Amino acid sequence: MSDTGNVSGSRASGNASPPAAATAAAQTVSRPRLLVVAALLVLASLVVGVLVGRVTSGSVAPTPTELSAEAGFARDMQVHHGQAVEMALIVRDRSTDPAIRLLALDLATAQTQQQGQMFAWLITWGLPQTGREPEMQWMSRPVIDASAGHDDHAGHTPGEPMPGVASFEQMQELASLTGVEVERYFLELMIVHHLGGVEMAEAVLARSTNPLVTDLAEGMVRAQSKELDYMSELLAERS
Amino acid sequence: MADNTSATPGSGSGSGSGSANSLTIKQQREKRRGEKVAALKVKQARAKRNQKLGLAGAIVGGVAVVGLLVGIVVTSATPPVDPATIEIEGLQTFDNIDSVHVQSTVEYEMTPPAGGPHNPSWLNCGTYEEEVPAEYAVHSLEHGAVWVTYDPELVSGADLETLRNAMPNTYMMLSPFTGLDSPVVASAWGAQVALDGVDDPRLGDFIVKYRNSPNVPEPSGLCSQALDGPGRIS
Repeated sequence: MSDTGNVSGSRASGNASPPAAATAAAQTVSRPRLLVVAALLVLASLVVGVLVGRVTSGSVAPTPTELSAEAGFARDMQVHHGQAVEMALIVRDRSTDPAIRLLALDLATAQTQQQGQMFAWLITWGLPQTGREPEMQWMSRPVIDASAGHDDHAGHTPGEPMPGVASFEQMQELASLTGVEVERYFLELMIVHHLGGVEMAEAVLARSTNPLVTDLAEGMVRAQSKELDYMSELLAERS
Repeated sequence: MADNTSATPGSGSGSGSGSANSLTIKQQREKRRGEKVAALKVKQARAKRNQKLGLAGAIVGGVAVVGLLVGIVVTSATPPVDPATIEIEGLQTFDNIDSVHVQSTVEYEMTPPAGGPHNPSWLNCGTYEEEVPAEYAVHSLEHGAVWVTYDPELVSGADLETLRNAMPNTYMMLSPFTGLDSPVVASAWGAQVALDGVDDPRLGDFIVKYRNSPNVPEPSGLCSQALDGPGRIS
């Protein structure tokens, strides 16, 4: 019965489409299209989500890459800190002055801890501690916003030593002195060393928006600027 | 029910009133029907075309979105150079190395030593013009330093200068070593590669892979303020 009805109905469909048949037809037409639209919506929302997440959340800063300022800073500042720690330990061994020995202890422990942070960044970022290009190369690259005035230093000339580092001969000299002489020489070397450290920290602040990196760099600028004043006082007392 | 009623006028074609007049009406009906069918076909064709266009558009859009996503991921994160993925031809590695402190001299299983028992004191990193005591250098390897040794008979002058310039400033020891099987050998804690010469590209790979590695027993242990070996020049 229903068969016959349907057949005759479809023959006559030129005049009036039977509702049931029309619905079935509409379904077969729109099912794949619906799927595609749904998939598109999912993808579009993913894209929007990723973009919004990137823009709004600082914690999803992209992982720094091999040639980034962040990686260069993490490597070179570890070396820079390493020499400061070495100088502090030398003067702590060779001086009996409580103020100098306490400053040296403060500096050596604080900078060793910061070295550890930078060491761990590189591991987290999946990068080797040693770069493929010469040290300080990252500081010869352009800043993010030249008008921001973060960094007065035009950059670093490749091949020149890291700012503020003492030479091999100066380190040998430091390790040969005692008493007020080692204190004075330590203060002179460390003041120059800190000025260079501040320069490097400011250079990465001008080249990075990664909060992990900028927070530590800002802390270095604050702490080392404060220590610069203190060391100048200590040096004046010994001149 | 509705089917039957609506079908009745159309299905009356074969029944009753067979006059000329009714034929014309029938022809008119056929004509009208033909027009309707044609119109319907056009409509269907258009719908089909739109559907195809829609589908094609959706596919193109989908591909574009996927492309955009892939693009974002690729550009924002160039693959990191994980040290573990750096392949070095001819690399030898040694597992389960003893790291006990001893005051005596040690017979090492590799030449030069790439780990093992060592002196409580370590060798200060730097460039040496003379041979250095291995028991101290091995301790520095344990702290993450890389030790580059060269055969002084085969490497001198400009070649030696090239080698010295290839050394990073810290966590590196460079010294002559007699009895090497190749001109230059690079060693780290538990790893070693024999190199063909001072410009062997594997030297850079080895330094990047192992210098200051987090996988040594004492990562970032000091490489200064202990023993200055003989002939240290930097």
